[in-house]
Amino acid sequence: MASAGGGAYSYSLTVFSPSGKLVQIEHALAAVSQGTTSLGIKASNGIVIATEKKSSSILMDDSMIEKVAVVCPNIGLVYSGMGPDFRLLVTKARKSAQAYWKIHGEYPPTKVLTQEIATIMQEATQSGGVRPYGVSLLVAGWDITRGPSLYQVDPSGSFWAWKASAIGKNMVNAKTFLEKRYNDDISLEDAIHTALLTLKEGFEGQMTEKTIEIGIITVPSLEELEAGKVEGTGRYKPTFRKLSEEEIRDYLAL
Amino acid sequence: MSIMEYNGGSVIAMVGKNCVAIASDLRLGVQSLGIASNFQKIFPVTDRIFVGLPGLATDVTTLHEQFRYRVNMYTIKEEREIEPETFAALVSSTLYERRFGPYFIEPVIAGMQRTPSGSYKPFIAATDLIGCLNFAKDFVVAGTASDKLFGVAEGLWEEDLGPEDLFETISQTMLNAVDRDTNSGWGVVVHLLTKDKVITRTLKGRMD
Amino acid sequence: MPDGSYAHPQQRQFNPYTENGGTILAIAGADFTVIAGDTRQSEGYSIQTRYAPKVFRLTDRAVLAVNGFAADGNMFVKKVKQRLEWYRHAHAKDMPLRAIARLIQTMLYAQRFFPYYVYNILGGIEEDGSGAVYSFDPVGSYEREACRAAGAAQSLVQPFLDNQIYFKNQQLPPGQTRPLHLSLSDVLSIVIDSFTSATERHIEVGDGLEIYVVLAKGRGPQGLEAVRGAQELTTNAEGDRVFIVRRELKKD
Repeated sequence: MASAGGGAYSYSLTVFSPSGKLVQIEHALAAVSQGTTSLGIKASNGIVIATEKKSSSILMDDSMIEKVAVVCPNIGLVYSGMGPDFRLLVTKARKSAQAYWKIHGEYPPTKVLTQEIATIMQEATQSGGVRPYGVSLLVAGWDITRGPSLYQVDPSGSFWAWKASAIGKNMVNAKTFLEKRYNDDISLEDAIHTALLTLKEGFEGQMTEKTIEIGIITVPSLEELEAGKVEGTGRYKPTFRKLSEEEIRDYLAL
Repeated sequence: MSIMEYNGGSVIAMVGKNCVAIASDLRLGVQSLGIASNFQKIFPVTDRIFVGLPGLATDVTTLHEQFRYRVNMYTIKEEREIEPETFAALVSSTLYERRFGPYFIEPVIAGMQRTPSGSYKPFIAATDLIGCLNFAKDFVVAGTASDKLFGVAEGLWEEDLGPEDLFETISQTMLNAVDRDTNSGWGVVVHLLTKDKVITRTLKGRMD
Repeated sequence: MPDGSYAHPQQRQFNPYTENGGTILAIAGADFTVIAGDTRQSEGYSIQTRYAPKVFRLTDRAVLAVNGFAADGNMFVKKVKQRLEWYRHAHAKDMPLRAIARLIQTMLYAQRFFPYYVYNILGGIEEDGSGAVYSFDPVGSYEREACRAAGAAQSLVQPFLDNQIYFKNQQLPPGQTRPLHLSLSDVLSIVIDSFTSATERHIEVGDGLEIYVVLAKGRGPQGLEAVRGAQELTTNAEGDRVFIVRRELKKD
């Protein structure tokens, strides 16, 4: 028997325990809180999402690991929890964004894509033969109606909008740290530095451009928006991008 | 006998200075037999988008309801009004879904598009029956009188027409084009859109 | 079969007609007539030539525009001209316009069961000095009108002419009246606009434009002297006069 956890209830995904809990989801959340810390901060002119990238052995080639993912030109993701589950969700999120583009001729607003991901994650809590996703996500995006927005999605399929948040192993400390540091008119540059400082708090080992990943949302200027699509490319300028190792090194040096 | 000409009917949309207009005839027929002179082919989508659906009458109704359904779903999901450009993409993808068994409709879209700075700019588009979009800068036409509409519009339309001049231009284009088409006519309706209002006028035309 | 015969019945067909595109148009004024046509000749999607005239001076008072199957058109014009020459030999004068119109009907109907595949528009000056346009179908039905377009872009041009020449669907403010006839310069503008519009939207129309102007005897040049490149073709300066104006059209 799986008596260590929720007793007889802990096996079935869809049976509530007498206390009103779905124990498998609690377990998924436990998997998340074992994952490396990730965080996101919304600034006045953009968003930063960042995470710690730890490899279990110095022999591993960590350039392969990707923890911050581009979903579409205006949305990016970071996670804490199980890497393989994240990869699957990124694939689904990208497909969803492309399906939206095919119908509407533009990429989805952050909220709509977040809802799509949340639906996918919720379905894994109520379907047969599956387990919940062992990840929490931070979704950062920009769209014309809501501007920059930052969402967190949990294994249950719940999601919230944040000004700043952290998930994973060190989330409690990180959130406390962010609460102290955050203000509403923080600039993107300051937010990136705050992100680095927050990560540093619980960091084990050396923090270098090889051991962290950063993604940023930049808010396009009114001129850029009025100009529309970039000449020659036929596309709008992307608002989400990952920082290169050089850029991260420069931020760490400051 | 072409299915596209079975019921008759024509639509045109034109761009003006800070305004757009869309017009259609009011005839519903079965080949040469006239059935009704109050058959609306243009429908409001939002407060500042209109769509004209010339073609097979049964598909006019079906597609109108299909678009209403999809726009309502969009509005609820996205918590915002759909923009003309997005609606055009929606029309296109809806029609292409039926690539190998199409609706016999060639939609015409007219609207005022919100710009990032909060002002409005005129937008028109038309598609063929499987959703190939045509974003014209001047005017778009569709229906049984399309060649006539092309000819008259090409002769009468000019750039930067004000609302009243645009109304006159689109009305004259429509009236004179449908008078030379046996399958269009029996009255004309014109919708004129500016950034803050819509003016709808029904015109008397030849009833033969 | 080895002997060159066929196992099954074979069907062969020869189509004696081709459609060569292009558009013609004529407008009658009070004492003048304008007859115009583009000069592109095409077969299917191919342009055969960018200069093949479709409008011909018949006499000092009659101009014929022919559109449809170019071979038939050229032969028909040739035969009409021949009949007009015989008339001159017999009567020592040019045939009156209304008589040419009736002649054309007779000639077309003579081919009732193997028609000339052409739409004719005859323009010129009547004996009373008025501008006139006669339009024909391929088998000779005809009618005198004030204006007519025919050919590939007829459906584009005719409703425009209805509006601009007949003032169809236009209402004047109460008390105001419209002049009975348009001036030559207005008519020329409408003709040029019609062809540039047709060129813009119809693939078979374009390249060049030839506009013939016929002026009634004794009338002033009506502003024609100011028209760029107007060239007189009149043989007898005492009677009605014929001019030609050429313009370029888009070649794409």
